[in-house]
Amino acid sequence: MEGGGGLEEGVMRVLLVDDSPVDRKVVQLVLGSNTFAGSFHVTAVDSAKKAMEFLGLKDGKEQAIDMVLTDYCMPEMNGYDLLKAIKAMSFLKPIPVIVMSSENEPQRISRCLKAGAEDYIVKPLQTKDVPRLRSCSNAKSKDASCNTVSNRKLPADHIVVDGASSPGRRAHITEIAMILHSSSAGLSHYFPFLFKFILLVYTILCLGELLHRWSNGSFLSMW
Amino acid sequence: MEAKMQLNTLMANMFATGLLDDQFRQLQILHEGSSPDFITEIITLFCMEGEGIINDLAKLLNKPFVDFNKVDTLLYRLQGSSATVGAQRVKDTCIQFHKFCQDNTRYGCLDTLDVVRNDFYDLRSKFQIMVQLEQQVWTFYRKH
Repeated sequence: MEGGGGLEEGVMRVLLVDDSPVDRKVVQLVLGSNTFAGSFHVTAVDSAKKAMEFLGLKDGKEQAIDMVLTDYCMPEMNGYDLLKAIKAMSFLKPIPVIVMSSENEPQRISRCLKAGAEDYIVKPLQTKDVPRLRSCSNAKSKDASCNTVSNRKLPADHIVVDGASSPGRRAHITEIAMILHSSSAGLSHYFPFLFKFILLVYTILCLGELLHRWSNGSFLSMW
Repeated sequence: MEAKMQLNTLMANMFATGLLDDQFRQLQILHEGSSPDFITEIITLFCMEGEGIINDLAKLLNKPFVDFNKVDTLLYRLQGSSATVGAQRVKDTCIQFHKFCQDNTRYGCLDTLDVVRNDFYDLRSKFQIMVQLEQQVWTFYRKH
């Protein structure tokens, strides 16, 4: 397991989680190919448990990682559980997570995106998928396209990145969108309570206003 | 050069019979820019992993009480690595295998395991020939 310090700016630090040595090797080859030479620093582990240890999610000591690329189907702790754990524990400094799977199953994709995954890639990872990794990463990227599954299949109320913006502004907006998306995914089960709370506050404010007008004698003048 | 011709014929045959798919071609393209032993390394890893998984599947399915969840997890791993190296036929058989697994059908799983085993061993033997021919070609070009 390699460390991630002392890297050049713009190099994306990827934590690759996959129990298959073949898949790990190929992903490392794709990310280390001449096309993307020097763009990625990959640390590979073979289980979700080791990934959590590496990220410091157990001991509280963080490792600098720009993105987690995890397989979905793994023994003991699968990629979905790892995704939820990373999103839950890295709320203040969200770590983008991309899930990979050999299954192109809409339910599984939807489940992962709702849990906060930035993208879902059907295995095997290919060269054409790499821009999607770049657009999800925390590392500074150049003119990264934002063509992820989560952006192609956005709900109506989701923030959409303007493709005509400057690269710096777009990257900033993308970052905000990712943070909101990941936080909203985690807070979605609180929405009913949030709605009731807002309604209650609004009702109290209205009642307060009515009482104020009544006490001032201007209540009847409303009609 | 004869080894090169044999290699080309073997590769064409493997693609034509559905043993390999386009993903293997993608690996070959990536291979051109990296270590010459990369393909050999990937094939060796795949063969070792695949054999281990098939043996584990056989053990699980021959137990009195079959844990189909464990069988399914192993299958996903074999399917995943097959897809990664472009082993199309093995991958497709794994997909069929999943259906029997989801139905918790032991005999269906055992029959499909035999098919997976045959497909895998067929692929493995051809991979071994491919690696030998590649080494001969590499040695020839290095000398000349």
